[in-house]
Amino acid sequence: MTHETAQPGLWARAQRTSVEQLHIRLESFIVLIVLSAIMAVLSPFFLSLSNFLNILLATSTIGVLAIAATYVIGSGGLDLSLGSVMGLSGVAGAYVAVNLGAPSPVGLAACILAGAAAGYVNGQLITRAFVPAFIVTLGMLGLARGLALVISDGRVIYGLPAVMVYVGQGRPLGIPMPVIIFVVTAIFAHCLLAYSKFGRHTMALGDSESAARAAGIRVERHRRILYTLSGALAGLAGMLFMARINSGDPTAGLNYELTAITAAIIGGTNLFGGRGSILGTMIGALIMGVLQNGLNLLAVQSYYQQMAIGAVLILAVFIDQYQVRKESRV
Amino acid sequence: MQPFVAKMNRFTLALGVAMAFAAPAVAEDGEYGVLMKTLANPFWGAMAQGVEDGAKEAGVKYFLQAAESDQAAEPQLNLCNTMLERKPVAMITAAINSTNLLPCLKAAQDAGIKVVDLDGNLDQAVLDKEGIKITFRIGSDNVAAGAQGADYLVEKLGKEAKGPVLVIEGLSGNVTGQRRAQGFAARLKELAPGLEVVASLPGDWDRGKAASITNDILTRNPDLVGIFAANDGMALGAVEAVYAAGKGDQVTIIGVDGNSDAVKSIRDGRLNASVAQLPYLVGKQAVENVKKAIAGESVTADIAVPTLVLTKDVLDAGKEPMLQYVK
Repeated sequence: MTHETAQPGLWARAQRTSVEQLHIRLESFIVLIVLSAIMAVLSPFFLSLSNFLNILLATSTIGVLAIAATYVIGSGGLDLSLGSVMGLSGVAGAYVAVNLGAPSPVGLAACILAGAAAGYVNGQLITRAFVPAFIVTLGMLGLARGLALVISDGRVIYGLPAVMVYVGQGRPLGIPMPVIIFVVTAIFAHCLLAYSKFGRHTMALGDSESAARAAGIRVERHRRILYTLSGALAGLAGMLFMARINSGDPTAGLNYELTAITAAIIGGTNLFGGRGSILGTMIGALIMGVLQNGLNLLAVQSYYQQMAIGAVLILAVFIDQYQVRKESRV
Repeated sequence: MQPFVAKMNRFTLALGVAMAFAAPAVAEDGEYGVLMKTLANPFWGAMAQGVEDGAKEAGVKYFLQAAESDQAAEPQLNLCNTMLERKPVAMITAAINSTNLLPCLKAAQDAGIKVVDLDGNLDQAVLDKEGIKITFRIGSDNVAAGAQGADYLVEKLGKEAKGPVLVIEGLSGNVTGQRRAQGFAARLKELAPGLEVVASLPGDWDRGKAASITNDILTRNPDLVGIFAANDGMALGAVEAVYAAGKGDQVTIIGVDGNSDAVKSIRDGRLNASVAQLPYLVGKQAVENVKKAIAGESVTADIAVPTLVLTKDVLDAGKEPMLQYVK
């Protein structure tokens, strides 16, 4: 995965066996721990179970989108429509359940299907019409958001059936449902990316498309699946937020695509493809979640929070590059 | 790899020092949490100022937070949940839409925290269904603000005046814009039946859109005498279109908000009037009333903060006592 040192020392070997097997870089994990420690010192409210669940709950939608971003960016692609598709999906689910009176499972499925459909269109346009991914997904960003506003007439669609609300507000064993769904999705996505042929092909594609093609990977088909998967995950994120606020909000997920990409990059995903892991991305998302939560607890204005997240992004990539270059010099 | 370990040790040391110096903040008893939509807008800035002054006068502690934009629905919800960790005695909230804060408000209520609807963004029917009881709502009375616009038009043109009038509504479906437009139309019909609303169209809070609507209606009704726009931005768009058509003296234009652009236009003698909201007073009175409610005094469930008609005369005279609250 990374550059081998000529004579690995004890520390390096320990690091590689325990951490590299999990496909993450130690640095991002250390940043997360240090950040949490600082917040715990600065705010007496930070270290509590309810606040820990708060952080996970606040990270759940962005986290699911960041999983999608990791797959697509890891394969050398880009999906700028994540946030808009999330908004569209929530509205679609609420419309189906409230305005059409469909049963709850249908409403929930409608969210994911709407997302997958948008992703499928992205994939088709990118691989069959040869329009660059940046352009296609940028176009979808506008299309999906506009469609969400059209369907909902610009208003929130309120009043979901109880089962749907449970998906967002239920707390089995005291754990919020969105957190459970998010964690299960992340574990599944991690295993798929790290240990399956599908995952290896995804990263191979990002490493070198021509090499992947030469190795017999069906590149176009694989990309179509990836964009559809990305859309479906955006649909899942839309479903989680919709259920949380008991309504479909056409403005949900505004600018979330950038936050999701940031989480993936902080977590060690290479912006140009070929490297990335879900565990790393989750750490990236948690770094942002902890930062935001801590700054909120300290009542720091949201303007400074945006600056802090921007700084962390640059810092994370700097440390990453620094380590890569140092290792390759040894 | 040794330097990496050394670096980590140095880092740990620095962290330890930082921790030793950082004085842990302690939770204040009886704090009020104030959650706004955004501060990137003079309206909310004035309201925050009102909260600050109100809290100072009432001698209460508060912490104020806002989402990064007035469309950041989920970030505002997450922020709201985080604010509950500080265990405030009251949450004064200006929700971004009628549903995005529901789970947080419910949790606040369950924790015995008083919930206040700042600026009337919540929907009573939704609150009833969710079982959330708010302590009170406070904000400008938008129906009354529209009616004040009609009062001004009739005062200027006379009760016997005749002629077509255009109403430019807000975003289609937005309650605030609807209430203003309805308040205006109802009062106008009552005071001067000769002034007829010939069109009531959604301008989507958009200056350019309001200007094109005005152009279209001026083509259809060249004798237009009045325009009421549900906010100042749209009123200023209408001003541009009316003056471009050379009908500045013929058409009376009224907006709502009293923002600084509108005040400037009124002083320049272009926009005729703006029904000013007083966000400073809204913020101040919100804090004062929460204090009353916590002390066990009875508080009106629906507090309407007055609005003020700004005209060139009012601005130039500068005698109106409420002018100090126009920020």
